[in-house]
Order: sequence, then structure tokens, then C-alpha cells
Amino acid sequence: MSSSNVSYTLRYFDAIGFGESSRMLLTAAGVEWTEEHPEWPQEKPNQPHGRLPVLVEKSTDGSPDFVICESTNIERYLARTFGFLPTDLKQAALQEQIRDLMSDVGNLVTGYVQIKNGEDKAECFAKFEGLLETLINVQTKLLKDNGNTGRLFGDKLSYADIIAYVLYMNMLVSLVKFKADIVDIIKPKLTPEIVKLISTVESDPLVVKHKSRGGSLVAVVST
Amino acid sequence: MLSGSDTVYVLRYFDLIGRAEGCRLLLTAANASWTEEHPEWPAEKANQPFERLPVLVERSNGDEWILCESLTIERYLARVFGFMPTDLKQAALQEQMVDQQADLVPAFMAQLIATDDMKSKQFDEFNTLFDRMVKEHGRILSRNSSKQHLFGDQLSYADISLYAFYKVYIVYLKIYQSDIDEIVKPKLTPEIINLILSIEKEPLLAPHLSKCDSMAAVLSSKAF
Repeated sequence: MSSSNVSYTLRYFDAIGFGESSRMLLTAAGVEWTEEHPEWPQEKPNQPHGRLPVLVEKSTDGSPDFVICESTNIERYLARTFGFLPTDLKQAALQEQIRDLMSDVGNLVTGYVQIKNGEDKAECFAKFEGLLETLINVQTKLLKDNGNTGRLFGDKLSYADIIAYVLYMNMLVSLVKFKADIVDIIKPKLTPEIVKLISTVESDPLVVKHKSRGGSLVAVVST
Repeated sequence: MLSGSDTVYVLRYFDLIGRAEGCRLLLTAANASWTEEHPEWPAEKANQPFERLPVLVERSNGDEWILCESLTIERYLARVFGFMPTDLKQAALQEQMVDQQADLVPAFMAQLIATDDMKSKQFDEFNTLFDRMVKEHGRILSRNSSKQHLFGDQLSYADISLYAFYKVYIVYLKIYQSDIDEIVKPKLTPEIINLILSIEKEPLLAPHLSKCDSMAAVLSSKAF
């Protein structure tokens, strides 16, 4: 657990993207943290892997800054440090596998918006829809098995809950500028259990003060 | 934390190096009781939790536990069998390297399937990322006193993952792109080649690697 002598800086773009999950984890952890939006691409060579996000952990005890990158690596480090991933290896792995599945869905939809060719675009979108349905089925079953409390695992806000919220935020809010009708395509697929997951996360006391650039996701999925 | 001696593992995957070599090497290094299944595909797709492979099945005391997603399986096995440090910061440094390696996969696929107008740009992007990866491997190695390992002086998850990474790009992916090894090999420094060959000689990995072609023959023209 963190002490009051430790603070964090998250370097990312002024966007939801791959930084939002870490923002929510830092907020939920209740630690001191700030955000930097490095000039880009000028600051590229100054980052460990030439990319963002980057997490800098500073301590007042004189030890050097601890710097890590790779978005899901930052997430897992924060989640483990602040107890949002269980210490039990199997329980943690079950959350991580959902996260990896969500990453695959995210990659498919990102790949889709970048493809220009019409035929490939349709095929790519079909792949994305297929995997999204797999994800929704997996998440819905977990939510139901967990008593339909709006939590994927256990009885408090978890790593998996936060990542799920961010994925749906990215798909239903961030992607609108690439595909205007994305909400009309995805929203009907959301089960009531997933809608409850989204509202449970958004209203959780640990993250309720997080003001997302995307606004309220509950407002998007509830109408 | 070691699993019980009555625990057996089944790795379900295709009969390919693919995304499973890290898992195979970890199970081997752990001296775990394990076998491999090659499910009929796509006939068995619906029987897998995420309709994909690899899948890890862990059987112990009559119970069965299932895990999916290759990197999650790797991190789980690495932690169970002590190949990942328990210190969260040290573990994050190894996972960071593995995640950076994984970023090469979409870049490789993008340049493979790119249409003519995008081919050059995607190929440049792949090369840039690969060069950066080799440089990062070198940087990590340069900071370690042992040159046979990336971290510390014993076989770690990072070592195993690095070996599997280079095996994928120098051996496996030739089935997709026959000249990928000729593109990648010149990028390797003598230090990285020696690291790969050192890992290949690790006694813990012998039960699996003795059944595979050695990378030594492929890399030997550039080794010290």
C-alpha cells in the first residue's frame, strides 16, 4: 500500500484512449497524482519506449523515480499495488484474462476504423462484432454468477470492472467521430447486466469524483 | 508458490510455435507435469471459454481450473513457478518488456497484409518498432551483471519470453513471410545472439528444446 510520501505522474495525451484506465485506478487508490500532456512528437525520444502512457512514481525518501510504460503493464502494477487485483494468483489471472480479451476487442475496432478499403472494412467490422459478442456473453455470465450486483468479481470495485467501463467508454464515446452510428450498433447488444456494471462503476464512491473527458457513460447507455 | 506435485496441466493450442511457445517453455522450466492437446479446429472452437486458443487446463485433486489468453497464462505460470519476482516493481519491469514485444505482432501483420500504397509505410513502422525492441533488450542486458540473463543470475520469465520472441520472428513467421528471418537477423547484436544461445542451453529448458531445431545453427554465422 502507498505511503503519503509517494506520488504519481501519468504522462499521456489529453484523451481517453489508453490513459483512462490508469486515471481511474489512481483516483480509486486515493493517492496523490497529476497528469502531464507531453508535447508530441517532440517528447517521443524522452519516453522509455518512445510511446505513451508512462507512469512516474516519485518518493520523498530520496530513491530514484520508478518509471514504467506499456498501458496494461501500468494498469496491472497500479491494480496490484492498491489491491484492485487480488493477491490470489488464480483470482488475479481470471481478471487479467478478461482484460486481455477486452484488449483484443479494442484492437479489432481500432483496426477497423483505420482500414480504408471497403471490402476489408466490412470483414474487419464483422470480426469485431463477433468478438464483442463473445466478450458480452463472457461478462454477462460473470455478472450473473456474481449475483448481478454490477460487479464482475467479488463485492467491491475491481480491476476488471474499471477496464470494462473504459472499454465501453472508448467504444461508445471515443469512436463516435470515426463512425457516427457506432452507438446504434453497440448499444442494442448490451445486456441489462452490462448496463448495471457501467452504472455501478460510474457511481462507485472510489471513482465518482473522476471527471471523464467522455462525460457520463451512463447517460449514453441509459436512454 | 509451487503448485502441488499432483497438479497436471494441459496446454491446448495448435501444433505450431505461434502464441504458445512461452507457455511451453514455462511449463518445461517449471518441471511441471504437462501435456499438449491440439483441438480439432474450428470444430472445438465453441468448447473453449473465449472460443480461442491457447487455453490452459489445470487439474488438481479432482478439480479443474481453466485459463485463457496467452500472456495471462504466461504471467500466471511465471508467478506460480517462481520465474517472476514477487516484488511488484521488479515484476513490472519484466512485464513491460514482454508487452513491448507483443506490440510487434500487430505491426508485423499490418505490413504483411498492407496494400501496395501502404506497404512501405507499414514496413518502416515494423522495422522501427523491431529496432527499438532489440535496443531495449540490449539496454536491459547492459544493466545486468550476468550477460546470460536479462535480470539477476537465474532463468527468469523475461529470459524465456525473449527466447520465444526471437524464435517467433526468426523461425515461426517464415510460414507467413519467407524472408522475415533475413530482415530480422541483421538487427541482432552479438550480445543478444549470445543471450539467445545461452538461454537455449539452460538445462531447465532441455526437455522441450531438445525436440526443436536449435537457433544456434540459424544464428551462428553472426555469433562471437
